[in-house]
Amino acid sequence: MPQHTRESIQTLLQAQGYQTDPQVVMSVFLAMQLRKPLLIEGPAGVGKTEIAKVMARALNTDLIRLQCYEGLDANHALYEWNYQRQLLHLKVLEVTGGQTTEIPSVEAIQAQEETLFSDKFLLKRPLLQAITHHRPPVLLIDEVDRADEEFESFLLEVLSDWQITIPEIGTIQATHIPYVVVTGNRVRELSEALRRRCLYLWIDYPDYDKELAIVLEKVPQIDSRLAKQISSFMQALRQLRLEKTPGIAETLDWATALAALHLDHLDKDLVEQTLGVILKDWKDVRHVQLSLSELYEKAGVISKWDTL
Amino acid sequence: MITRRTTLSHNIVAFCRFLRENGMAIGPDEESTALQALGQVDLADRDAFWLALRTVLCRRVQDLEPFDRLFRQYWKELEKAVDSKIKDDPKKQRQKPKPGPDFNQLKSWLYGNKPSEETELTTYSVQENLSQKDFSVIAADDLAEVMQRIRELSLTMARRANRRYRKTSAARQFDLPQTLRKNLRRGGELLEVAYRRPRKNHLNVVILADVSQSMDLYSTFLIQFLYAFQTVYRRIETFVFSTSLHRITPALRNRPFAEALSELSDSVSGWGGGTRIGASLQQFADEYLNLVDRHTLVIILSDGWDTGDVDVLTESLTRIKQKARKIVWLNPLAGNPSFQPNVAGMQAALPLLDGFAPVHNVESLRALDAWL
Repeated sequence: MPQHTRESIQTLLQAQGYQTDPQVVMSVFLAMQLRKPLLIEGPAGVGKTEIAKVMARALNTDLIRLQCYEGLDANHALYEWNYQRQLLHLKVLEVTGGQTTEIPSVEAIQAQEETLFSDKFLLKRPLLQAITHHRPPVLLIDEVDRADEEFESFLLEVLSDWQITIPEIGTIQATHIPYVVVTGNRVRELSEALRRRCLYLWIDYPDYDKELAIVLEKVPQIDSRLAKQISSFMQALRQLRLEKTPGIAETLDWATALAALHLDHLDKDLVEQTLGVILKDWKDVRHVQLSLSELYEKAGVISKWDTL
Repeated sequence: MITRRTTLSHNIVAFCRFLRENGMAIGPDEESTALQALGQVDLADRDAFWLALRTVLCRRVQDLEPFDRLFRQYWKELEKAVDSKIKDDPKKQRQKPKPGPDFNQLKSWLYGNKPSEETELTTYSVQENLSQKDFSVIAADDLAEVMQRIRELSLTMARRANRRYRKTSAARQFDLPQTLRKNLRRGGELLEVAYRRPRKNHLNVVILADVSQSMDLYSTFLIQFLYAFQTVYRRIETFVFSTSLHRITPALRNRPFAEALSELSDSVSGWGGGTRIGASLQQFADEYLNLVDRHTLVIILSDGWDTGDVDVLTESLTRIKQKARKIVWLNPLAGNPSFQPNVAGMQAALPLLDGFAPVHNVESLRALDAWL
């Protein structure tokens, strides 16, 4: 593996279209160098998951994703036996070998069993996949706080031992230790033990410059003045207390939509009509409609429609 | 070069100790990770140095701000010390936090509770009535006994709440009848397998307890209750508030009650001070609302003596109510038969509540079971 420096990581991330800042670069760099899991927290829609994806692309390796949800248990994360296939296999044996009536020997039964519980019938779930991969992959454990506490402790065990025991086969050692990225939305407070094992990165909503850079990067066809106005409008919008504060994803949707309409500035009527792109709660929409003039003033785009 | 390295590791260890003394939970593991991390960066780069330590030593978003502050403070002090050729700099740092308040706190606490401990064995009186007695009129002599009862009650309730919904270790169980039924149309060949799983408990509990002056007579009992409950029932988040809100879940876990209590009254500012229920609930709604979902029961323990803005209270309650499964308000004053909820705060809150009940004695705590 090539030796990475912070500069090389920064270039890698930027080449992948990820607008980065020094803290992100440092965290990714240390996570890779020290081979420690990186815990990323922050509000929804600020690009937490994106970091893992970009990391995988930058390292030229595969991304294995474990999406956590309430009730996720070890089976779904590790492995399952392909029961249907096993049954079919037995059925086929029954049909083809059905003519012989003699009682099978002990060895034969054992051999059968071994085939039945071989790799062929094993469904690898993300964690097992990650540790048996042919090269170190990036393992993304997404929204870990949605899973139960029990699962979290189980995860800790896997993350520290890097081995998985399957009763029918034995213990499987990790061929490579993956790069681990864990993300959380703070739906539940994570255990201290998990936090201790990880490096920590907090990503907040981007500031004006970063947001503008992202918009220009991802929506290249956009008018530059419109991009600026959108960015400052979003900055002002996030100051309001909303049920669901819009993230970068919403900004990009909006920018794409407005760019598709070939606009070159934020028009007040148009903003009202397209609020649904960035706000997903009717109360938010109403709230914003009421304070639209104020927002315009804050965003500094008032001059445009005032002079008209 | 070697001496420089030693100085560095020396300084890092001292810095970690400094952080620890200022309330950040940093152990030897973090110290060694910090040193490893610094081995990876150019030390001449001030920002890199800071960012690397930040990545390693912070563990949650609330850590970031104090870390930055302490970082600046420490290295400024250190530079000053180096400039003025004062040698023993780590020692100087170590003197910073005064042992005074901690020690005094502990001492006063020890003295304060002494009577109850001494009389522990002599509780013979009115045992039957103890459970019905209002917390505010419990004599010092009966304190230990009451505490013990609360503890037992709490543990029983928590265990029951746990068991009722307990997830079994075998998360997937084979469901034979369902499997047979499903596969009948395939001629009885078992191709599709059905599983069943035990019903899961989705109930999370969030508790917001008032520890202001007016609740003084009750809060110790209530905290005892919460503490014992939490040792068994893990899906619970506990907050206390007076003028502002504090999350105390970690403080209640894995430590003896006395220790937890003394640390709490020590670290929670405004413990035993005035109340601002509205502002505290608003703080909860602003910062922790994502802990609340439709499986969450929110319990508020307060007497409703609000000195804040009533509008703020109703607005925050509305926001919490929209996300929570239920909000229950437990009021120690409601135990009095002549009680009328006409305190302004209480009055405003009532229409927004799913439940309103007294918690003035051990008996009333038992009634909490209905909500769990």
